Amino acid sequence: MDKKPTIEIRNLSKFFGNIIALKDVSFEVYKGEVTALLGDNGAGKSTLIKTLSGVYRRDEGEILIDGQVVNFSSPRGAAAVGIGTVYQDLALQPLMSVSRNFFLGRELAKWTGVLDFKQMDQITRDEMAKIGIDVADPSQPIGTMSGGQRQTLAIARAIYFGAKILILDEPTSALGQKQQLEVLRTIKRVRDLGELAIVFITHNDLHAKLVGDRFAFLNRGKIIASGDRTTIDMDNVRALMAGGAELANLEREFADPS
Amino acid sequence: MTSVDERIRKTTLLESALRRPELGSLFGLAAVVIAFMIMTGPINVSLGEKNTFGDMWVRSVGVQSWVELSAYVGILAIAAALLMISGEFDLSIGANVALGGHTFAMLMMAPDPMPLTACIITTFGFMLFVGFITGSLVVSTGLPSFIVTLGFWFANRGFANYLAFRNHDTSRLDIKPMLEERNVLKDGEIIPMPDPTKIDDIFAFKDGFFGWRGNIDLPLLEPFRLYFNAEFYYFIIIALVAVFVLNFTRIGNWIFAAGGDPVAARAVGVPVARVKIGLFMWSAFSAGFLGVIFTLQSGVSEPLAGDFRELHAIAAAVIGGCALTGGYGSVVGAVFGAFIFAIVSRGINFVPFIDNNLFRVILGLMLLGAAMLNQLLRNRVVKG
Repeated sequence: MDKKPTIEIRNLSKFFGNIIALKDVSFEVYKGEVTALLGDNGAGKSTLIKTLSGVYRRDEGEILIDGQVVNFSSPRGAAAVGIGTVYQDLALQPLMSVSRNFFLGRELAKWTGVLDFKQMDQITRDEMAKIGIDVADPSQPIGTMSGGQRQTLAIARAIYFGAKILILDEPTSALGQKQQLEVLRTIKRVRDLGELAIVFITHNDLHAKLVGDRFAFLNRGKIIASGDRTTIDMDNVRALMAGGAELANLEREFADPS
Repeated sequence: MTSVDERIRKTTLLESALRRPELGSLFGLAAVVIAFMIMTGPINVSLGEKNTFGDMWVRSVGVQSWVELSAYVGILAIAAALLMISGEFDLSIGANVALGGHTFAMLMMAPDPMPLTACIITTFGFMLFVGFITGSLVVSTGLPSFIVTLGFWFANRGFANYLAFRNHDTSRLDIKPMLEERNVLKDGEIIPMPDPTKIDDIFAFKDGFFGWRGNIDLPLLEPFRLYFNAEFYYFIIIALVAVFVLNFTRIGNWIFAAGGDPVAARAVGVPVARVKIGLFMWSAFSAGFLGVIFTLQSGVSEPLAGDFRELHAIAAAVIGGCALTGGYGSVVGAVFGAFIFAIVSRGINFVPFIDNNLFRVILGLMLLGAAMLNQLLRNRVVKG
């Protein structure tokens, strides 16, 4: 492989007292690609996300972005080096408007101190359209949006505010089937923009297979298998994860979305 | 390729109006005004009572009675509303009226007192400090602000009266002699506000700037000539500034976010703790501001000044559409709520056939009705 990874994680470990939460976790993510990080509940996915997004400090290992070792100790620091995390709960305010949510914490104001609603609405509309959602009225409260659209809003926000590496924390898990597809479509579209390296964290290997270019399987704090589409035996690894039978059922369901 | 979701649709002007949090209180205010106009007018006449319609709605003394009360409650209600939108609550606001008044009075009564303006500014600084302590305690302990400010509700008034009693053998502080000495008070009356069109006049009168009894004619309402005290004009100014800040600035956005979902707000970089502490400071300052104004107007700081006003302010904010859970509400609504409170409270004196004791019954039922109506309207927002 001649191209360089946008972000490379080398032998990352995280301990909580005598509990080993992550041990020697290594994987890499490339620009314009999706690395799907799979693992069942308790595998260490949340710890990994929080370590990558600056909530926790790593105990061992290195994180390299564009070949440079980076160090950060806060979510702000992680954002500054280009890591944008979209959490499961999305960090959105349901009673506030779409564009207010988009710019929350980084509002645009005119020199008078008055918020520039016109420009914020315009940028929100444009950025959302780039990844496939047409927002007719950005001044509507997001309480009126579907779960999938909210996910899209959170992703669009992370991209607009300078994320090079997008970490998506279980973006499909709290959604209905139809909205899951909507989110997967969004991920695909962001991938095809070719500008971002995407880490897609999920416990659903079907979703991973649909959009993933590379795969890493996390179990009990360790990477038990990793590779790209050509090198990995998806069926074998799936057996390592819990609930193979249910997943098979879901696959049939998923193949035929109503 | 873009997908248009069927759930996002254009809204009409009417629909966006229905989403405003102050809508319920606007209807409430209209209903209360109409009801009291009928009760003080036609019904009184039909009952053979003296027609008191003009007494309440046109003549200066009557209008002043409820407009000034709405200014008093309104200034506190704006602070209460902003705090509630940010997800917090301040019960100590009434006690802080007395604390502010007493602090100011004691500064004036000191053996070697500072100039009047310095006393006022020192009091304001002290009240901001009190608010800072309250807010910091709420934010740092994570205790419900209801509990923390209940503590200060007891402590602040108690502390003010304790100090007053210890230093001056009374908890009712009379500063008329000190005001007369400084030419702020003449023959028992506060010197009226100077002509605001003459700049020289204002500078010559700087010591009385906060205490003027703003007997300004409202020329539009000739020939009736209405007069209002200073707090009414400050109320208008504060309301306009608060509406602007809440709806059109970054800080306003943060206030909503802090109350809506503080964890989410922090995740995107909103300084939630600082926003909340700032609003507690504003709340304590508002109370102290009124305490100083009343002390200057009457020459006396009363031990029970502001008693119950915290509840009136919260009632006005709730009537105005603020959600106790935070993240939702409006300053305009709180202003309407304050007017509703004041019109019912004072208007009842102009309606001979309603027993004054029923005031609290009416207020309580209105509060419940408003809360239910507002919840209904709020659900419309989430469900679109």
